[in-house]
Amino acid sequence: MASVKLTNVKKIYDNNVVAVHDFNLDIKDQEFVVFVGPSGCGKSTTLRMIAGLEDISDGTVEIDGEVVNDLQPKDRNIAMVFQNYALYPHMSVYDNIAFSLRLQKMPEDLIFNKVTNVAEILGITDYLMRKPRALSGGQRQRVAIGRAMVRDSKVFLMDEPLSNLDAKLRNQMRAEIILLRQKLNTTFIYVTHDQTEAMTLGDRIVIMKDGYIMQVGSPAEVFEKPENLFVAEFIGAPKMNIVPAELVNANGAYQVKLFGAAIPVDGDKGAELARARIPGRKVLLGVRPEHIVLSKEASASSIPVTLEVNEMMGSELHLHAFTDDGTRIIFRVPTIDLTASERAGLVNGAKLNVTFEGKVMHFFDPETEKNLLYSHEY
Amino acid sequence: MMNKKKFTSPIIEMLIGALIAALGYLAFKRGGYYYKLTALTGRGVVFYILAALLALGGLAVIVVGITSLLRVSRYNALVESGDRAAASSLDRSMGIKAKRALSNTFIYVLLVIISVIWLIPFICIILQSFRVESTSPVGYIVPQQWGLANYKNLLNTNFPRWYLNTFIIAIACAVLQTVIVLCMSYVLSRFRFKLRKPLMQFMLILGMFPGMLSMIILYRVLKDLGMTQANAVPGLILVYIASSGMGYYISKGFFDTIPKSLDEAARMDGATRAQVLFKIILPLSKPIIIYTILTAFMAPWADFVFARYISLNNPIGMNVAVGLNTWLSKDQIDSMYTTFCAGGVVVALPVTILFMLLQRYYVEGVTGGAVKG
Repeated sequence: MASVKLTNVKKIYDNNVVAVHDFNLDIKDQEFVVFVGPSGCGKSTTLRMIAGLEDISDGTVEIDGEVVNDLQPKDRNIAMVFQNYALYPHMSVYDNIAFSLRLQKMPEDLIFNKVTNVAEILGITDYLMRKPRALSGGQRQRVAIGRAMVRDSKVFLMDEPLSNLDAKLRNQMRAEIILLRQKLNTTFIYVTHDQTEAMTLGDRIVIMKDGYIMQVGSPAEVFEKPENLFVAEFIGAPKMNIVPAELVNANGAYQVKLFGAAIPVDGDKGAELARARIPGRKVLLGVRPEHIVLSKEASASSIPVTLEVNEMMGSELHLHAFTDDGTRIIFRVPTIDLTASERAGLVNGAKLNVTFEGKVMHFFDPETEKNLLYSHEY
Repeated sequence: MMNKKKFTSPIIEMLIGALIAALGYLAFKRGGYYYKLTALTGRGVVFYILAALLALGGLAVIVVGITSLLRVSRYNALVESGDRAAASSLDRSMGIKAKRALSNTFIYVLLVIISVIWLIPFICIILQSFRVESTSPVGYIVPQQWGLANYKNLLNTNFPRWYLNTFIIAIACAVLQTVIVLCMSYVLSRFRFKLRKPLMQFMLILGMFPGMLSMIILYRVLKDLGMTQANAVPGLILVYIASSGMGYYISKGFFDTIPKSLDEAARMDGATRAQVLFKIILPLSKPIIIYTILTAFMAPWADFVFARYISLNNPIGMNVAVGLNTWLSKDQIDSMYTTFCAGGVVVALPVTILFMLLQRYYVEGVTGGAVKG
């Protein structure tokens, strides 16, 4: 139960590779923050610097207002769950969980109470006397979480805890982490490369790339208001379509012109553009796959495309198509919206007309790759 | 209709076997001829070994011939009874099995011969240690009179003193060297510090020089410290453990296979570096610890060169190897030879017992460090 504050934190390795540049972040007490980004973006390094497993090259890390840069991990009162569980193979589950308490020289009967209590919460009471190698992946992960829980530490760090589990178990454990979080009421910092985990778990998401923070915000914010091209493409699956287009301002009524079509930018988005007095210009237009709709017939606002791949996902179809100049776009169509004959027509090579939803478009500067409407320095 | 098989090939196999065995007999005769001339040395021994090899090999080939003879007759019986499927499956397995049996026989025969050759000196020394009819070296192996006099005689010599010396040195080395090696390996495996790589390379190159190069200067240093001759024991301990940190390779290789995240988890759990080593790493490294103890115990136990020049003819400072060697000098060999053999057996005993008890770990240690590392 503590706040964590990182100020100008840098990590420079001995070979002068900079893993983390000027990282600034305020994590509030009991907040669940997720660091997400592709591999090599510095998210794990940042977490390990908070944990004390990596030296901090520059800047300060504060926990509860106290600078912990020079404290050993054991003195920071932080618990951590590792990707490969890191259970001690020669100890039983009970001893694994009790290890940290024994190092604190806690009396055995108190340890017994704490361990059995944690085991009950996690549903591992039956395995307490087993060795880790006799457990399945999911059970091991529970033990690893139990080992971190039992200590009542100030901050709970998780380094890709679900990456070693299969897809089904991962979904189940994700839900359990949400439940656990409600029970524990402590500060969580969670590292993942999976944007779904980030979206479902985090109060706030920190999206990183090449050691820089790209955006910090709630799941809704990073999804609806991506500040740059990287965030726009990273969050959401399948990823956002990015196509070059021309934004036209006709007396406050905005249109985008692309592939010979003119699509009005309406709704809130049009109003926001007008309020920000964005002039007509060349942009990179971002449209999520679910915001592209099939239109029955050609019109001034529709774009002719040729279907290339049709992926049946169950409740929806993912359609990969290309426009007349060869630009590839992906869009999603709910299966329920289509009649049987329409579905039968979606074969490779089929000619379709699609149009974009104007009210949920994103506009990026082709040079800076920043969002024209929301952009912010970290 | 399937044809019956002929018995030619098994018969040829048996004939070849008989021929080899006959050659073995010839070699045996020849060996006997040389043996009469020169006793159990030189060419006589070579011919006896050759004879044993040929005889065993010939027997093996004859056994293979007999088994294939039995198979052929079974095959023919099956063909006669009309069970074609069983016959053809037997036919198929026949070739593979026969080949495997043949190669296995040869391998085992070879291994048996090698181990017999390897065991001859040990058997000799054990038998000689029980020989009481005379004390000088003789030209035969099996004693004419048996007894424990040689072992009793050991107690009237400096042998107990040497044995104690060796024991103290070996135990001290086993303890100190194990501690040093394990700490060194842990540091090199887990810590990242400047000059770590250069240090490891330096030690690798340094290890390529034979230790004997330092003999003279070591003697001077130890003499100045008063650790030679009668005081050779502490001096020897110092010499043996001085460079033990350089023997970190195998245990570092083993430690490298233990995931680093275990260390990190333990440190997050509140352990100091030393607690990580003693509570996490060492309990997981039993084979490598035992391997380290064994090698650290063995080296001084059998050392001759360093012990010889540091004790420098002073019987109080000698270890067993040096002490026993003095009994083989020209003026003592005739009175002490059988006692020497008894001493040799007593020296070999603890090491043999240790190895028998711990060989499982020893093998795990060697392979674990080498393969996984």
